[in-house]
Amino acid sequence: MSSTKKPTKATPSKNKPKAKSAAKAKKASPAKPTLKKPSVKKRLWSWSWRLGIIGLVALSSWLVYLDAQLRSQFDGNKWTLPAKVYARPLSLYPGLLISPQQLKAELQWNDYKAVTHVTSPGTYGREGSDWIIYRRAFSFADRNEGAVKIRLSFSAGRIDELSVAGQSQGLARIEPQYIGGIFPAHHEDRELIALQDVPPELVAALVAVEDRAFFDHHGISIRGILRAMKANVAAGRTVQGGSTLTQQLVKNFFLTNERSLRRKVKEAFMALLLELHYSKEDILQAYLNEVYLGQSGRRSIHGIALASRFYFAKNVQQLDLSEVALLVGMVKGPSYYNPFRKPDRARARRDVVLNVMEELNIISSAQRINAQGKGIKVAESGRAGQREYPAFIQLVKRQLQTDYRLQDLQNTGLRIFTTLDPWLQHATEKSVQQHVTKLEKQAGYKPRTLEAAAVVTSVDGAEVRAIVGSRRVRYFGFNRALDAQRSIGSLAKPAVYLTALSSGRYNWSSIVDDKPVSVAGQDGSLWQPRNYDKKDHGKMFMVDALARSLNQATARLGMKIGIGQVVETFERLGVEKTIPPYPSILLGSLSMSPLQATQMFQTYASGGFAMKPRAIQALTTSDNQVLTSYALEGRQAFSPALIENLRYGMQQVVVQGTGKRLARAFNTTKIAAKTGTSDEQRDAWFAGFDDRHLGVIWLGRDDNKSMPFTGASGALPIWQSIFKQSGLEPLTPLVDLDWAWVNSYGLAIDEDCGGIREMPFMPDSLAAREVSCDAAKPSTAPQIDGAEKETNKRSGSWFDWLF
Amino acid sequence: MVRLVVLVCTLVSLLSACSILPNSHSEHDPRRQQSTEDNALLAQDDLLHLDEGEHHPAVQVLLTQAEQSRQQGDAKQALAYLDRARQIQPRNSAIFYRQAWMNYQIGELQQVQQLLQRAQLFLRSSVANYEVLQRRIRTLQNQLKAKQGH
Repeated sequence: MSSTKKPTKATPSKNKPKAKSAAKAKKASPAKPTLKKPSVKKRLWSWSWRLGIIGLVALSSWLVYLDAQLRSQFDGNKWTLPAKVYARPLSLYPGLLISPQQLKAELQWNDYKAVTHVTSPGTYGREGSDWIIYRRAFSFADRNEGAVKIRLSFSAGRIDELSVAGQSQGLARIEPQYIGGIFPAHHEDRELIALQDVPPELVAALVAVEDRAFFDHHGISIRGILRAMKANVAAGRTVQGGSTLTQQLVKNFFLTNERSLRRKVKEAFMALLLELHYSKEDILQAYLNEVYLGQSGRRSIHGIALASRFYFAKNVQQLDLSEVALLVGMVKGPSYYNPFRKPDRARARRDVVLNVMEELNIISSAQRINAQGKGIKVAESGRAGQREYPAFIQLVKRQLQTDYRLQDLQNTGLRIFTTLDPWLQHATEKSVQQHVTKLEKQAGYKPRTLEAAAVVTSVDGAEVRAIVGSRRVRYFGFNRALDAQRSIGSLAKPAVYLTALSSGRYNWSSIVDDKPVSVAGQDGSLWQPRNYDKKDHGKMFMVDALARSLNQATARLGMKIGIGQVVETFERLGVEKTIPPYPSILLGSLSMSPLQATQMFQTYASGGFAMKPRAIQALTTSDNQVLTSYALEGRQAFSPALIENLRYGMQQVVVQGTGKRLARAFNTTKIAAKTGTSDEQRDAWFAGFDDRHLGVIWLGRDDNKSMPFTGASGALPIWQSIFKQSGLEPLTPLVDLDWAWVNSYGLAIDEDCGGIREMPFMPDSLAAREVSCDAAKPSTAPQIDGAEKETNKRSGSWFDWLF
Repeated sequence: MVRLVVLVCTLVSLLSACSILPNSHSEHDPRRQQSTEDNALLAQDDLLHLDEGEHHPAVQVLLTQAEQSRQQGDAKQALAYLDRARQIQPRNSAIFYRQAWMNYQIGELQQVQQLLQRAQLFLRSSVANYEVLQRRIRTLQNQLKAKQGH
């Protein structure tokens, strides 16, 4: 540190040594009486020389140190680049189910501009019933694709014809939307740009406004300082800075904002050194990338490339003169001249810059008049520059951190290609926000009493298409979709019925009893679950107990098949947590996050493959080398036939049970679902899937108090609203089950022989079950007895507690 | 000693008789026939083109790109294209089979198993090349078993 103090002390130090040397001279004189005393003037001279030399050596070594520091930071990677996160690219192909509204919205969110004549990349328009999209060049995760014109037409809600660059094509894609970054602690965000890609008038305007002598000076400009001083003295306050662009760069890049002489001197020396080593072009390029141009929440906007996207939703090359002038003008004070909040100030500043540009013949007066005639038009909020998906980014970050160091994600400019579907995300956000507000009003709650979370994945690949972690969808805090651990209530029931079906002793026509149940725990406490309606429903087909979500019947069934077996099913389904073998888990005392519940339901939705919901598709370096490609993974945990059989039961939830409302809303019963309500209505859940997507919704209060909603009245409407907007594709069977009529005892029989209902059976299992007309007399023991007898024999202590 | 020689000779002749017997039947054994065809398919493996057959135009584009990458020896790139194809048709057995086959080539055996299971799950008798695909799935399953057995 001492070395840095040297130059500031250079002038005042002249006096001190003089005094010291005089004192020393006094002390020394009696010791050496024989020497002739040199004159004071000569002595002073010689000491000054010596000190001068010492000072010079110190200054040189300090400069060498500064120089090394400067070069090491300025060479190579100058900035830490946050990882960039992209949504899935929109693939377009004949036959794709997509509405023109969705296409339009996705183009707009991706900063495409609607124009009458499509002539440049990043624009789109209509020609009769055809859509023309000028796709920008983009480095996708798998290959680079150039800018190209895509033409397509719609027919009955699907893409009909598609051509790329005039040629009929089977497939095209729009580059993915930028959805956020993974930032270091200082939240500096920027996009790098090379000088040759910056419009010349922008560079000229910057130099004209900030440092006219930039191309003439060597880092500092004496004339500039004098001019600033003169202006400041005349105004009686600081109105003008004398810093050159180089000094500004040095200050922003190497130093702090501290206002001190020491900093100023260091800045001047560093500016000189920078100019010594680097060309004017290098310095300008660094300046254009470094400059601070605004704030978006926690994220600070650096560099003109990002600023142009942020304020105008455009590439720098697409900026018009008015926008160029405004950006340059904002360098002086990005928050003071913020065009979002202070459009008038911003406009005045822009006009000043345009005047200067005309004055220096950068533009003609006609251009100036034209540009000044334009209003301040900034990007609509919600455009890509500002659009962020906190819950999804948090999930991406968490999934990446198992493979990568956080530091690398924040610093090295990785590109992360994800599975997010912006259209579904939009539908999910809107549905959550609208319904939570509506439900609050319904319950007479104060605003912000209720919270919600939602996860939507693809059924076959477990790709996360949308995720909401709070009703405040732009909120970067607690992510309920990932971290809220809440009782899953009846979402647990399908696992109990799956265990029953897989035991081979039950099928959907088995008779179960919904009489009251009471189980004594080892500590003597009693577990006595009741039905939601507090009624007993007697004997019924097993499928009806699931469809109506009856607690007593499910608890009895679970106790009979054995809690250990049910726990094992949970584990096979992909539940990654310790499950205590308590009877209460049968009815969902188990806590899960919405994402964990999604993972469990994914196994049902995918046809028996246990998979983790996955948010990342691929990861590349900033220069597009693929680091990792994440492919479809999973293991077959249950046979597809068994899962198909279970799905019949889950469809009955929609046909006749707690999810009946959906059948009316979508005019189909081919939806598999389950409602869930935890004890005292603290949590309302809904999980359901069609042929494309699985959606899991949670609704509750952060203080865990009860609320007047169930899974069916609170969470189901949110699911319904999401799937209304995304479009619902009815389920198709995974495998063909065997079907047979059953009588009131649940026995498979001819329809003419008293069959009352048609039910599915596991493939090839019917031959052994079907009974003749004669055998189907009431004397044939109902299946419930058989099941009970069997369990009775082998059951352990749990069954003894049933009474 | 003589007894020992007689014993050995008897055993050898018995064994050789055993080995001749099934051979004499093999030409008419449908299982055997099947396995010859499987072997033929196996032998064709390096002729197996990822883009062969008739597909949805979008899938065809991606399968062609996958095939080009495979020919250039870039298996990972080929797999990336195949996965894009899968996302367009998430229940196309032929795509799953190709993913399994490609993974098998690069020794990602863990992946092969589940991809083949998916290929089998979504295989419908209504598809044009049902029988060929079914046989290929089975052949690859057998190969996988043999490899994992080792």
